[in-house]
Amino acid sequence: VSDIASDLVLRGWAVDPAAGREGPAELAVRDGVLERVTWLAGDDAHGIDDRGTLILPGLVDMHAHFREPGNEDAETVATGQAAAAHGGFTTVAVMPNTTPAIDDPSVVARVRAAAVASGSPVRVLVHGAVTVGRGGETLAPLGELAEAGVAGFSDDGSPVHAAALLRNALAYAGALGLPIIDHPEDPSLTKGAEASEGYVASVLGLKGWPVAGEAGAVARAIAVLSDTVADVPGAHLHLTHVSTAASLAHVRAAKAAGLPVTCDVTPHHIAFTDEWIAGARRWAWEALDADGAARDPWTDGALVAAPFDASLRVNPPLRSAVEAAACLAALADGTADAIATDHAPHTEVDKHVEFGWAINGISGIELALPIVLAAVDAGRVPLARVVEAMTTGPARILGERQGVKPGLREGAPADLVVVDRAATWTVAPERLLSKGRNTPLLGRELRGVVRLTLAGGRVAYSAD
Amino acid sequence: VTAEADRGAAASSGAVTAVPADVPAVDAPPQTQPVPWPHLHLLDVDGLTRPQLELVMGTTDAMREVLSRPIPKVPALRGTNVTILFYEASTRTRVSFEVAAKNLSCDVVNIAAASSSVSKGESLVDTVRTIEALGADMLVMRHAVSGAPYLAAEVFGGSVLNGGDGWHAHPSQALLDLYTLRSRMPGGSLEGRKIVILGDALHSRVARSNIWTLTAMGADLWICGPSTLLRGFEAWAARGAAGRRFTVTSDIDAALKDADAVMALRIQKERMASGLLPSLREYAARYGLTRERLRAAKPDVIVMHPGPMNEGVEIAADVAVDPRSVITAQVTNGVAVRMALLYLLAGARHHGGNA
Repeated sequence: VSDIASDLVLRGWAVDPAAGREGPAELAVRDGVLERVTWLAGDDAHGIDDRGTLILPGLVDMHAHFREPGNEDAETVATGQAAAAHGGFTTVAVMPNTTPAIDDPSVVARVRAAAVASGSPVRVLVHGAVTVGRGGETLAPLGELAEAGVAGFSDDGSPVHAAALLRNALAYAGALGLPIIDHPEDPSLTKGAEASEGYVASVLGLKGWPVAGEAGAVARAIAVLSDTVADVPGAHLHLTHVSTAASLAHVRAAKAAGLPVTCDVTPHHIAFTDEWIAGARRWAWEALDADGAARDPWTDGALVAAPFDASLRVNPPLRSAVEAAACLAALADGTADAIATDHAPHTEVDKHVEFGWAINGISGIELALPIVLAAVDAGRVPLARVVEAMTTGPARILGERQGVKPGLREGAPADLVVVDRAATWTVAPERLLSKGRNTPLLGRELRGVVRLTLAGGRVAYSAD
Repeated sequence: VTAEADRGAAASSGAVTAVPADVPAVDAPPQTQPVPWPHLHLLDVDGLTRPQLELVMGTTDAMREVLSRPIPKVPALRGTNVTILFYEASTRTRVSFEVAAKNLSCDVVNIAAASSSVSKGESLVDTVRTIEALGADMLVMRHAVSGAPYLAAEVFGGSVLNGGDGWHAHPSQALLDLYTLRSRMPGGSLEGRKIVILGDALHSRVARSNIWTLTAMGADLWICGPSTLLRGFEAWAARGAAGRRFTVTSDIDAALKDADAVMALRIQKERMASGLLPSLREYAARYGLTRERLRAAKPDVIVMHPGPMNEGVEIAADVAVDPRSVITAQVTNGVAVRMALLYLLAGARHHGGNA
């Protein structure tokens, strides 16, 4: 195969969470194998710092939507893989809210076949549905799905409505060694909601999605988990796209109590805020005043874009700068185990409509790394912690059985990404490989350009 | 109610004669003279400065003068195609815009969403592009979803005038309310005047737009209603409208005490089904605007309602027709304000205004 990565020598600032190490390094790749990793010191390291070329293990996204089968006009497995590679990701776990839902081994096989047929070396893992048709009524054949190799179970897009069903799912999946990935939401509090409840939603006349709609569901799920582990020690609850300080406080307490709970945060919930719906575009950490309160975009000149951009409609909704700061703090202190993109590509037909009628989701897998690097640049979270949350963090949740072992290991197939951290690029539709151009960052200059992505020893993306 | 009926009140306050110097002579088309109005669209009132609000008021005075003529019509916007696209049922706002446009000699096309291709599932973007291709210069639209006029403005080549979007904004209503209040207040000033908006603020675009305009004019604004219908407003009041503070309370007695004006909002029956209110009867008993409650207000308190009214619920029937009620004057002033807005927006087009 012509795309085998051969005879490459890479020099830069390497970060390897698996080895607990970062610093100047030289890596040699031959015939698809990472042949040599040399950590440099003294004169050999001259001119290499963490502001230039970064060499990272291939990134892992445990939560993306590739829309196949059923919505191939929004994304296919092939375009999703291309977009992932462009974003530096070499392993992506896709969610089962397809049409039909991935609630049967035959659908798992179909997604897998598409991933092979594309010719892309980006590895696609598959999450199975918790309930049949994601209907929230009866358990999907979790055992058969496990045998088919799913990475976890989720009804993402919806919560597992009934606590009794969640309890059964945690027990059944736990015995199979697989996590339940819950989308925490209490629909009685969020029906028809358009934006996070609070100042911005009040001013814009958007129906509010209250913090309690998430935090209550998180607390309930953790309580159910607590009961379940007594019977099934292997039970594992993962809470995805957690977006509020109150939810994260529940997770922090549950972890302190030793419960098998993990969670992820998304790039958009740490970096974007609800004031973007009003027309602001500053990063979340720039929207805080000296006391840590959210600034008022109506008084400080921050409203620079037209309001009600439907690309900002997402579930859970973009929160205030205070909630975003809590998500970033949870990432920094390890309460959030992973950064997941919740890559949600959509068509113009579904997105270029009235804000409240737009389908939820942000196309994000190609922009995740530049967004989190902006948080690193701002001094909000260390680089090593971000890389961990995008590699070994999600890999631990997905499990060894999936064979996901991010790291810069000599003798292993080269699986890494080379990023020019100093370079900038302007986000434009024609530069995105995803079919979903539904991002509020179109037209924005971002810092951080992926130069090369190697997956399983093959070139998945090359800028040159 | 005709313009005649209300003219006396407005004239006695001096409003009609006090046309500022920078207000154009509205008989002439706006392209013949510079109009100091920068906005191509009117989508919200949050960005309007006090001088811009004053310009709308002054231009409305000029339109009131037109309305007082035996033939209340000027050729100012002759040949301008105004398309009125309403996705929600409305009588007074739609007719008010239509009358306003016709008084300025516009050609008017009315589209009711239920009878157009909208009911066949056509997107707003496609509908607006079609309206533009059919020759519309200005688009007046009403929509049930907050922010929808911004989407229309993104694709429409002419001016978009928001006739009410979801819970978000109702600019022409807020401006006619402002005009009506000024014409009734001694000296025409709202500075320090206690104005109460009473009722379902949560679902009200009228309340939201009035928060911006009334605080901009220096009013002491109070928002009062059951706490379930004020959700989120405390967060807003704490910051104020662009920093201009207002008060939110569920205590109707505190709100009405010494009030200079009270605006009752319409209560929708759906609010009971969604559990926000126990019953209409309880609402009427606790928050209905009655003569007895009005005793706490100033003796010459101004009573307003954006319509349509549920008499006996948010406002007692006798209060609605009380001499202190200006509800019919609001309707008449609505035509004049909408004439002013159409005129100013047309002028901005001819003089290179921005969005």
